[in-house]
Amino acid sequence: MLPLSRRQWLANTGCGFGALAFAGLASANGPAKADSPLSPKKPHFAPKAKRVIFLFMQGGVSHVDSFDRKPRLDTDDGKQFAFDDARVLANTGMKGSSQRVMKPLWKFAQHGRCGRWASDLFPEVAKKVDDLCFVHSLHTEGVAHGPATLFLHCGSTTFVRPSMGAWVLYGLGSEGANLPGFVSIAPSTGNGGARNYGPAFLPAVYQGTPLGKAGGSADEMTVRNLKSAASVADQQKRLDLLRELTAEQMKRTPGEAEFEAVAQSYETAWAMQQYAPDALDLATETKDTKSAYGIGEKTTDTFGRQCLMARRLCERGVRFVQVTYGDGSANPAWDQHSNLAKHGDHARAVDRPIAALLADLKQRGLLEDTLVWWGGEFGRTPYAEKNGTGRDHNPGGFTVWLAGGGVKPGFAFGATDEFGAAAVENKVHMHDLHATILHQLGLDHEKLTYKYAGRDFRLTDVHGRVVKDILA
Amino acid sequence: MRSSLRLLIAALLFVAGAAAPVGGQPPPKPPVADDPKGIEFYERKIRPLFTEHCGKCHSADAAAGKKLKGGLRLDSRDGVLTGGDSGPALVPHKPADSLLVKAIKYDGEVKMPPAGKLPDAALADVEAWVTMGAPGLPAGTAAKKQVGMSVEDGRKFWAYKHVTVNPDRKGGGGSEPIDAFIRAKLAEKGLKPASPADKATLVRRLYFDLIGLPPTPEQIDEFVKDTKPDAYEKLVDKLLASPQFGERWGRHWLDVARYADSVTLRGFVYKQAWRYRDYVIDSFNADVPFDRFIREQLAGDLLPAATPADRARQLVATTFLQLGNTNLEEQDKKQLRMDVVDEQLDVITKGFLAQTVTCARCHDHKFDPIPTKDYYALAGILRNVKAMEHANVSAWVEVPLPVPADEDERLKKHEAAVAALEAKIKAAKGPAMMAKGVLAVKDLPGVVVDDAAATKVGEWQPSTHSGTYIGDGYVHDQADRKGEKTLTFHPDAIPPGRYEVRLAYSSGGSRSDAAPVTVFSADGEKTVPVNMKKAPPIDGRFVSLGEFRFEKDGQCHVIISNEGTTGHVTADAVVFLPLDKQEAGKPAGVKPPPDAVKAMEAELKKLQEAGPKRPKAMGVTEEKTIEDTKVHVRGSVHNQTEPAPRGFLQVATAGPMPKLPATQSGRKELADWIASESNPLTARVFVNRAWHWLFGAGLVRTVDNFGTTGETPSHPELLDHLAAQFTADGWSVKKLVRRIVLSETYKQSATGDTKSDADNRLFGRANRRRLDAECVRDAVLTVSGQLDPTAGGPAFPDSLAADYGYKADPPRRSVYLPQFRNALPEMLEAFDAADPSTVTGKRNTSTVAQQALFFLNHPFPRGQAKHAAAKLLAEKLADDDARITRAYRMTLGREPTAGERAAAAKFLAASGDPPAAWADVFQALFATPDFRFID
Repeated sequence: MLPLSRRQWLANTGCGFGALAFAGLASANGPAKADSPLSPKKPHFAPKAKRVIFLFMQGGVSHVDSFDRKPRLDTDDGKQFAFDDARVLANTGMKGSSQRVMKPLWKFAQHGRCGRWASDLFPEVAKKVDDLCFVHSLHTEGVAHGPATLFLHCGSTTFVRPSMGAWVLYGLGSEGANLPGFVSIAPSTGNGGARNYGPAFLPAVYQGTPLGKAGGSADEMTVRNLKSAASVADQQKRLDLLRELTAEQMKRTPGEAEFEAVAQSYETAWAMQQYAPDALDLATETKDTKSAYGIGEKTTDTFGRQCLMARRLCERGVRFVQVTYGDGSANPAWDQHSNLAKHGDHARAVDRPIAALLADLKQRGLLEDTLVWWGGEFGRTPYAEKNGTGRDHNPGGFTVWLAGGGVKPGFAFGATDEFGAAAVENKVHMHDLHATILHQLGLDHEKLTYKYAGRDFRLTDVHGRVVKDILA
Repeated sequence: MRSSLRLLIAALLFVAGAAAPVGGQPPPKPPVADDPKGIEFYERKIRPLFTEHCGKCHSADAAAGKKLKGGLRLDSRDGVLTGGDSGPALVPHKPADSLLVKAIKYDGEVKMPPAGKLPDAALADVEAWVTMGAPGLPAGTAAKKQVGMSVEDGRKFWAYKHVTVNPDRKGGGGSEPIDAFIRAKLAEKGLKPASPADKATLVRRLYFDLIGLPPTPEQIDEFVKDTKPDAYEKLVDKLLASPQFGERWGRHWLDVARYADSVTLRGFVYKQAWRYRDYVIDSFNADVPFDRFIREQLAGDLLPAATPADRARQLVATTFLQLGNTNLEEQDKKQLRMDVVDEQLDVITKGFLAQTVTCARCHDHKFDPIPTKDYYALAGILRNVKAMEHANVSAWVEVPLPVPADEDERLKKHEAAVAALEAKIKAAKGPAMMAKGVLAVKDLPGVVVDDAAATKVGEWQPSTHSGTYIGDGYVHDQADRKGEKTLTFHPDAIPPGRYEVRLAYSSGGSRSDAAPVTVFSADGEKTVPVNMKKAPPIDGRFVSLGEFRFEKDGQCHVIISNEGTTGHVTADAVVFLPLDKQEAGKPAGVKPPPDAVKAMEAELKKLQEAGPKRPKAMGVTEEKTIEDTKVHVRGSVHNQTEPAPRGFLQVATAGPMPKLPATQSGRKELADWIASESNPLTARVFVNRAWHWLFGAGLVRTVDNFGTTGETPSHPELLDHLAAQFTADGWSVKKLVRRIVLSETYKQSATGDTKSDADNRLFGRANRRRLDAECVRDAVLTVSGQLDPTAGGPAFPDSLAADYGYKADPPRRSVYLPQFRNALPEMLEAFDAADPSTVTGKRNTSTVAQQALFFLNHPFPRGQAKHAAAKLLAEKLADDDARITRAYRMTLGREPTAGERAAAAKFLAASGDPPAAWADVFQALFATPDFRFID
C-alpha cells in the first residue's frame, strides 16, 4: 500500500534529489512537504487541541490516596466488606469476596477556587486543580499490567493494534518534518514494550519514536542513531559522497520514485541530525525554568528533564508526546501491592515536574491547544490486597485528569461508589476517553479508520463515545 | 376470568421459555396483556426511560444511523421479544428470567446502560412492567440482523469454486503456459512484454530470490560467460539444491507463521522455538511436499512416524500452533483459552487459506460467506488442543522429544548421576542444618526474613513451644479471626536474579492443612497452599515455595494469610536462596552455604550444564476431554448459545461435512481438509504466495485475503493452472519455483513501458523490488566477507530469561537472529522485517529517515564497510580504478558508470588515508538505493 502512494506523491511533486536546501532545513522545523504521508492533514472538524502530552503513571496510581476522596475509607478502616474484586472475579467468577478496607495514607483537603479535593500525596499538582479536569469514573479492561497497558495505549488487551499516537499522526500528520511526529519519552520495555508506541498495521512512518527507556539515563534520551561517532567534517564528507553516488545511480534510472524516496530519506535524516539535538538539549533553558522542573535535584531530576523535553517538543510541532514514569519491570513503579507508603517516593519524583510543566505551558500560551493527560493503566483497590499493606489493581474504577486542550478547567466528572471500588456514576470507559481525546484533536473516532485484512479498523474498535460533559 | 387467563398465559410462557434454548428456535410470540393501565404505565414510566437511556443504541433511529448495538431494539414489541444477538430481551411476567432486567441491574455479563446504573426506582419500574407482561410496546419489526454473503452465494465466488483447468486453453502458443497466459492478457490490452533482462541483472535477481544472497563477482562471471543454452537452467537447479534455499524460503514461511523467539508481555523467551525455525528451513530444503508440511504443522503429533527422528520432527512442527503472541497474564482463563484458539485459527486460515475467519468470532462475517457457526465449528477442534498450562501467568506447553536408544541411555545415566549428587548434597547439608533445635538467623544461607521482621496484620502469637525454630521463635494466628490476619515478609533489598524461596514453619496436628502463601515476584504472584500438618520436607524446617525471578526495584515479598483456613497457621521465617552463580554469596545479606556443600553444588551445576539435556519442543497435546463447543454470542465466553458441532468452512467443503472423531480433537481431519486437492483455496493460496515472493506482487495481490474484500486475480486461469500443476507435481515447492523462474515472464527486464500499466498488474515487465531486511543485512555481510554460514541451532544462550534489551548481532544469516518481540534486531526492524505477532504474507516496504540514520550512524554498516575495505585492499589489483570496478561488482554486481567512476576517483584522490577512504566508499555504496533494490 505504502510504496504505491509514495510513488504517486513523489511522482506528483517531483521533488528531485538535492532540491531541498540543507541550510534552510537545519534551522527550522516546518511541516512535511505536501502529499508526504506525514504532511499535515485536515481534521474532520475544527480541533480544540493541536497536540497531546500524556503523562503515563505506569503501574497504577491509587486514586483513593490521591484525587478521589472517600471518607468511608477512614470511618470503616480495617473492617471487612464484600467487594467484586476484579482479579477474583476473572479467576473464579466469584463476586463479593470479603476484603479489608484500608484508609488512605495521605490527608485530603480542598484546593483552589474550584474547591476540588486532593490529597497531600501530590501537594504541587494539588495547587493546580483550577486547571484540571478530573474524570473519577474511568474504567478499563485488563486486570494485569500487560493487557491493561496495551489497552490504554492501543485499545486492545490482546490483539496487535496501532498505538493512539500512531493513529493521531496518521490522522493529522506532523507539523514538524525534522522531528518525529510521535515521541515516547522513556517508554517502558515491559508490559507490551514497543507495541505501546507501535504502528501495528499502519504504515511504519506513523510509529512512535522512543527516546531512551524507562529507568535509563538522561543521555540515553535521544533518537536512535542520531549521533555519529565521526567528526562533523567527516560526516559532511561522507554525506556528500553518498549524494554524488546516489545522483549517479539516478541517472541510470531516471524518474524512479523509489530512488528519490531513498535520497529524500537521507536529507530528512541529516536535517533531523542537525535539528533534533537542539530540540532535545535542555542546556539553553534558563536556570529558573530548570529549577522549577526540579532539574538538578536528585528526586525530581529525571522526570523533570522528561517533562521539560516534552514541552520543547510540543513547541516544535510534535503531535503526540508521551512521558512515562515507570520502569521495565513486570511490576512497574506505582505497583504497590505491599508497602503503599512507597507511593510517596514516586509522587515526590513527579509532583513538582508535572506542576512546573502545567505552569510553563500556561505561561507560554501552549496549554490552550495542548491537551495534557495524566493517568495510569488502572487504579488500585480501596482495600488491602490479601489483607497486607498494599493495594491490588483496580480496572473497575479510577481517576485520570486532563488539562488544557478545550476541557473544562476546575471540573470533576463521574464518580466511583462510596469506597472507590467501582465507577458507578457517569462512567467513562477507556474507549470513551480515547474517543474524547481524538475529538479534541478534531478527529471523529468512528471516521478515523484504516483498512487492513479486509476490514476497517479503529482505535475504539466498535465502541467509544465522546464525553461531551467535560468539554469546555 | 382475567386472573385465570393470566395464569394460563404464564403457564404457556413457562413452557415456551423452557423450550426455547433447547430447540434453538425463536420463542413463540405470546400475546401481551395490553390493558389500558399497562399501556399508561409504559407510556409514563418505561418509554421515557428507554428513550433517554437506551434509545441511542437500541431504537429505530439507532438502526437507521447504523448505531444499533447488539442487534437489539427496545422500541417495538418484536424488537424486544425477538431480541438481539443474545436472544429475547425479556420474558413477559418473568423479570428473573429476563436479560433486560439482569442487564440494568448490572447482574451478569452485560451491564446496561454502560454510562452507569439506573436509579433504584427506575429498576423497580422496569421489573414491575415486565411482571405485568411488558404491555404497551408498539408493534414493529425487530432489527434486521446483519448477514454477510450466504454460503450458497459464496460457492459462486471465484475463490471458493473448484480449481479448473481447461485442457484446450493453455493460454495459447509458447512453450511454457505461464508465458502464454501472461502474453495473452498483454495482447488483449495491446501491450508487449519487456525485453529479457541482461544476464548480470538476471543472475543477481535469481540469487536473491532463491537463496537471499548476492552473487559474488566470480559467480556472476561464471554465469555471464557460460554461453551454453542450459546455463540458466543449471544455475536454477544449483541454487534450488543449495542449503541456502531453505534459509531464504523458510524465512518466507516464518513470516506467515508469525515466528518469534519470545512473547511480548514479560518478554519470556521461547527456548525451543528455534527447533521449529530449523524444521521449516529443513523442510524447504528437503522439498517436503507442501500438503505433508501442512499436516505436520497442524497435527504432527497425531500422525504415524517411521523413526524417532521423524516423530521428533513432527512434534516440533506443531510449534506452529504455539507461536501466538499470547496474553499469558489474562486473568479470565476461559477467555484466554478461546483467545489462544482464535489466534491459532487466524494463522491457520490466513496462512493456508487466505481467509479472515476470525472476523466471524463475534458475528457472522460481514462480507464473506462465513457464519459464526463455522467459526465455532473450527474453534471446537482447536479448543480440544492443549497449548497452555494455566496459572496466574499461564505457560505454553513443552513436550519431550524422542531420542535414539543410545542417547536415551546416556540421558538416563546422566539423570542418575545428578540424582546421586543431589542426594549427597542433601546428606552433607543435613548435619549442618539441624533438623531440630534453635538456629540463629546468621547461620542460614541466603537472605533470611525472620518472622520477627514480618509486617503483621492482626494478632500473631509468638511462640517457642516446639523448640525447633529460627531466631527467637515462630508465630501463629491462634486459629482465630480467619481471613483477617496476614504476615508480609519483605526482604530489605535483594540483588536481582533467580531465587528459590522457602518458608520455615512449625508443623503439628492442630495446624492448617492449606495455608495460602503467596510469593510476589517478577513472574507475577503465585499462591502455594502449605500443609502445616506435615513436617517440613527440607531439613525438617522448610518447604520450597518454588523458583522465582526478582527484578531491581520490582516486587519481592511473601504474604501468608489465614484466609479460608482451619487450624493454626504458623510461620518461622522466609528464606531467599540465590540460584544464579554470580549472585551466590556476593552481596551483603546473602550468606554462603558451608564450603563442602558449596563445592558439591558447584559440581552439580556444572554437571547439569555440561551434561546431555532431554530435548523438548513447544508442541501441543490433546485435551483430556474431547468435545464440541457452542456459539459464543459476541465472542463472549460467558454467553454461549447453540451448539456448533466441530467441522470446517461450509463454503469450501464439497459434499456433506465429515463427522469428526469423538476421541480426538479433529486436527488431523482439519489438516486433511486443508491439504486436499479438492479444497479450492489451499493450492491457489500457496502458488500465489510463491508468485508474490518471486515477483513482488501476487496474481491476487491481497495474498492473505482471498475473501470478497480482497482483490480478484489478475490472471485467474494462470492461477488455476499453477495450482493444478502444483498438486499434480505432488505439492513440490521446488518444482513450482523452478517452473516460475524458468519462464520468460520471470526473466524480463524491469525497464520498458511503465506508463500503460503503471502498477504492472499484467506482469509485462519485472518489478523493481526493495530487498527484504534479511537480504540487505546478509548482503552487507557477504560483501564484507564476514558472513558466518553456520546453519541452525539456538539463537540465544540458554540462561536468558527475558528478551528485554537483548543485544547480540553475530554475523550469521539474519534468519538465525533471535526474533524477539521486544527486541527485534535493529536493522531488521528498520527495514520492515515481518511483525512477528501477525501473519505477514506481504511485508511493508517503507523508506523512512530512521533507515537513513541507521546507515549514516550505526556502527554495523561502518564496521562492515571497514572489513570490506580491508578485503578489497588485500586483493592484488592494479590501481584505484581497478579497485573501483571491483568495489562496484562486489556491492552492486555491476560495473560502475563513467560518472560513478569519476565521483569515486575524485573522492579517493582527495583523501590521504586509503583504508578510511575505502571504508567511506563502501559505507556509501551500502547506503545507496541500488544496494537495496533489485531489478
